[in-house]
Amino acid sequence: MAIDSLAFLIPLLPALAFVITFFFGKKMYSGGALIPIGAIAISCIISILITINLLQNPEVVVHQSYPWFAIFNLGILIDPLAGVMLCMVTFVSLLIHIYAVGYMSHDPAKPRYFAETALFTAAMLGVVLSDNILQLFICWELVGLCSYLLIGFWYQKPSAAAAAKKAFLTTRVGDVMFLTGIIILFSSIFTIYNGNLPEGIYVLQFNEMFKLIPELSAMHTTILGSEVSMLTIITLLFFGGAVGKSGQFPLHVWLPDAMEGPTTVSALIHAATMVTAGVYLVARTFPMFMGAPDALIVVAYVGGFTALFASTMGIVMNDIKRVLAFSTISQLGYMMLGLGMGAVVGMEAVGVSMFHLINHAFFKALLFLCAGSVIHSVGTQDMRQMGGVGKVMPITFITMLVASLALAGFGIPGTQIGTSGFFSKDAIIETTYLFGEHTGNYIPYIFGIVAALLTSIYIFRLLFMTFTGKARTDYGGHESPSSMTVPLSILAVLALIFGALTQTKFYRFLDETFINNFVHVNIGDLAELGNYHLVHGHHGEPLLILWMPIIVGVAGLLISFLIYYLKVVDMSKIVSRNNFVFKLLYNRYYQHHIFIEVISLQLTYGLSLVGEFIDRKIIDGIIDGISDGTIAIGEIIRKIQTGVVQSYATAVIAGVGLLIILLKLIVEVQ
Amino acid sequence: MENYMLLAPEIILALVGLTILLTGLFIGTNNKNILGYIASAGLIAALCLTISNISVNETMFYGTITIDALSQFFKIVFISVSLLVAIASIKYTEGNKSTDEFFTLLLFSTIGMMVVASANDLITLFIGFELASLCTYALAGFEKNNPKSIEASMKYFIIGSLSSALMLFGISFVYGMTGTTSIPGIAENAGALAASPIGLIAVVMLIAGFGFKMALVPFHMWAPDTYQGAPTVVSALLAAGSKKMGFVAAFRVLVIALAVLSPTWQTAFAALAIITMTLGNVVAISQTSVKRMLAYSSVAQAGYIAMAFVVMTPMALAGGILYTLSHAFMKTGAFLVVAVVGYMVLSDNKNAKDIDHLDNFKGLAKRMPITAFAMMVFVFALSGIPPTAGYVSKFILFSSTIESGLVWLAVIAILNSALSLYYYARIVKYMYFLPASGGKVSEPLPYAIAIILALAGVLVIGIWPEPFVYWAMEAAKVLMI
Repeated sequence: MAIDSLAFLIPLLPALAFVITFFFGKKMYSGGALIPIGAIAISCIISILITINLLQNPEVVVHQSYPWFAIFNLGILIDPLAGVMLCMVTFVSLLIHIYAVGYMSHDPAKPRYFAETALFTAAMLGVVLSDNILQLFICWELVGLCSYLLIGFWYQKPSAAAAAKKAFLTTRVGDVMFLTGIIILFSSIFTIYNGNLPEGIYVLQFNEMFKLIPELSAMHTTILGSEVSMLTIITLLFFGGAVGKSGQFPLHVWLPDAMEGPTTVSALIHAATMVTAGVYLVARTFPMFMGAPDALIVVAYVGGFTALFASTMGIVMNDIKRVLAFSTISQLGYMMLGLGMGAVVGMEAVGVSMFHLINHAFFKALLFLCAGSVIHSVGTQDMRQMGGVGKVMPITFITMLVASLALAGFGIPGTQIGTSGFFSKDAIIETTYLFGEHTGNYIPYIFGIVAALLTSIYIFRLLFMTFTGKARTDYGGHESPSSMTVPLSILAVLALIFGALTQTKFYRFLDETFINNFVHVNIGDLAELGNYHLVHGHHGEPLLILWMPIIVGVAGLLISFLIYYLKVVDMSKIVSRNNFVFKLLYNRYYQHHIFIEVISLQLTYGLSLVGEFIDRKIIDGIIDGISDGTIAIGEIIRKIQTGVVQSYATAVIAGVGLLIILLKLIVEVQ
Repeated sequence: MENYMLLAPEIILALVGLTILLTGLFIGTNNKNILGYIASAGLIAALCLTISNISVNETMFYGTITIDALSQFFKIVFISVSLLVAIASIKYTEGNKSTDEFFTLLLFSTIGMMVVASANDLITLFIGFELASLCTYALAGFEKNNPKSIEASMKYFIIGSLSSALMLFGISFVYGMTGTTSIPGIAENAGALAASPIGLIAVVMLIAGFGFKMALVPFHMWAPDTYQGAPTVVSALLAAGSKKMGFVAAFRVLVIALAVLSPTWQTAFAALAIITMTLGNVVAISQTSVKRMLAYSSVAQAGYIAMAFVVMTPMALAGGILYTLSHAFMKTGAFLVVAVVGYMVLSDNKNAKDIDHLDNFKGLAKRMPITAFAMMVFVFALSGIPPTAGYVSKFILFSSTIESGLVWLAVIAILNSALSLYYYARIVKYMYFLPASGGKVSEPLPYAIAIILALAGVLVIGIWPEPFVYWAMEAAKVLMI
């Protein structure tokens, strides 16, 4: 197929756009915005065409691999899993780039903005396209770098610079775990092959890695007295990387602060695409998780807990973007929870979770862009200063309403009527119920359903506080330009209908990723290795369970309506009273303080003082000594160079003589 | 019947050289610019023809000339350097009435180097050596009114003659003991040479002769003075092109002809390589003239390449051979940047002194961003930072050194590389972090083209090394029979 041979252009075009915009953007229209837009549009078209091809022939994946420097392969793999991600990333990125033309119109540093978002898009596409774990890691790091640069885009603001640093350092914890996982994986593979890596194949390619799952699973090591499978260690380290990138507890602390960047960046990176890289990593290496005992349970618990934990904090935030940030963390928790449910539903978990990922990308990008539209017009992010914005910004209000309904998961069970979030979130909650039914452990289900209630409360609180009632300050807003409202409308349509249109097809398509395909695995065997008992043919949950998510959703809506619209309870009294729960939530469970004051200041600072002493006094002393010595010797030797040609000739002859003597001696000794 | 097509590059260059000399008689100084274009066109034609014959393996003229992967590889190195120098010189020689002599000498010296690359007989080799040397002596003194240029040329000439004499002395010993000057013939009869103490003396004499061109310590002392005094474009030719002549000659004469004496010359090269790289790097640190610093850096680089003679595995030879190509691009590029900066300084102030002083690089990133970026890439390549050609070559050379068990040698080389970063990074600091002392200047087009070509060479080899490593391996195979 001709289009397959263009696959390499998908990440390359945005990368080129980065270079061009960065160096020459200043002189172009809107800081060179059109170049990334054009490049990403072409990438998007190629991605969609390849995915359509895949839809028709799911077994014909695009796979190209080129060896580079013997230890590293550059490869492209587009299978159904990568295909849907590619379409989502390019499409959302395209819309946000178009939106940013309007949103960033007053910013003097536009070329830098568009160059960095283009680089980010290229890196993210690199993560999705990689056919081996090492290349994925490299792009993963590049994504992290772009995130750092864009959070600190307004680096003159101290809070933005601090947030960028925090994001970088926190995700770094996860990245180190991920890298450690890769290193352990490679050394284990090295052991399996007894040090003779086979010629011609690249062992870190996903399909080669998956072939070795039985061997990896059979390797054990002892940690703290208990025997652990090597595969569990590797997968949990990978998951550690995902925890950092996807803002799961306890490494989620950077994501709310990341809202210091431009709102478009929040929408693109910290809601729709980059933060899903962690979920994608787990989905990509899902066969390994299937074969690793306990790994999926850890994923499920961390995900479920994060979903609940983050949504509690979402209820009390007053900054419109922070509410959305906690919402993102919570929704990512749902995705992880869905993946963890692979313990009972097998590969279907990937479909369920990825489906939520795609839907979330649409409605969360929409939420952020609506918030951006409001901020652009009102000039503040504090919801207490808004109110009644719906009257001046009708399009924004309607699209925001659609997105909120999608996030809260409104729809009618048993029919094809519902927002996209309804289909995907309910699917996850249903699998958690199935998990409870078969293992007797209902904790994941409780996480899921309580988080759903809280989700509904915080999102409608946001809606009522921002768009309804009377204006609380004199902000004098206006509706945003069409370059902003058009992407909003497109996303709103998708948030509304994408779920209903594609649900069943989507699951079937993603199932093809690991079955009868390039990365072929036998799910039953893997589940046996991982000690999971899969359930087949599960339909017919009780009616109450099917209706439960929507019931809590409506309940949340009502609670918010009563409190924030009708003002039945005066919230300000509860808040102003030194309410313990409020303080705990508002201060984000003091986790930030624990991290900063206990871990960073006490522990790390003490260590760094010791490190500084060693570095300054001992190492620097040695280095300075060497360098001073070398420079001094250089000064002496250069005096040999007298500039007198006779002495040069003498040196030549003396050199010949000395060499003869030297060689004579050495030859005689030998 | 000989296949003259294989010698077409040399023949074309000779004809173009003569044409330029002849045309120069009839056109006025103002029109002599065109001669540079003719020379560049001739070099491009020769380059294409050489590349098209890259996988030939034939001997010609009663076995005195051989065309094989090794000769073609080095010819590509020589022609590339000459081409870059020729393009840049279009600007350098502008308005000079001796333009015709300059380009003729440049082309003839290139022919000399190419003859050395192809030589299969010591006499051919010596003639090629002398042709190239005599032309470059004259080129080094091209600025007849500049005492420094004349001094550079004189020193180069005197030490060069001495070295030629030593080399010829060595050749005569070899001939006397083996009865032939043919390189394969010597290889067959070298047993007698190895058995006698004369063998050792012959080897040292030859190494002294080649070491003069390679600028190995202690035969290097002319190099800093000459590179500094000569016109910068000529320094580029000497450091990047003519230096490699010594290597290809040493490959042919020592590795092929005198293979039986390898214990002797391997030891010699081990000593020379270590002294050369260490002295080159240490002295480079204390230089304030960028040209002189590049000269010492060039000495140090010769030390790295000389490691190939010590390790002598196919991979190490390939690494050394690839290094000559990489070094050709990065060193030519660096010298051309110095030439542009010199042009810039002179355009600020006609009577400026010390135009190659490091201070003139202050804030270059503001004044000439493209040149500054190129210089940064060149110096990083010279210090061996990825993704540049310098990194690839060093990686292959050093890793093959470790593989063959000579860890101590690799450690010394790596320490030296670390040391060299000091003075390379200093240039980057001057260019990017110190304030500029003048406004923006636009590079003259010929210089810019030459620098961008060199930059492309450095980056292409660095990013996609496979084909180049393959060629170098093919060339190394010639040596391993």
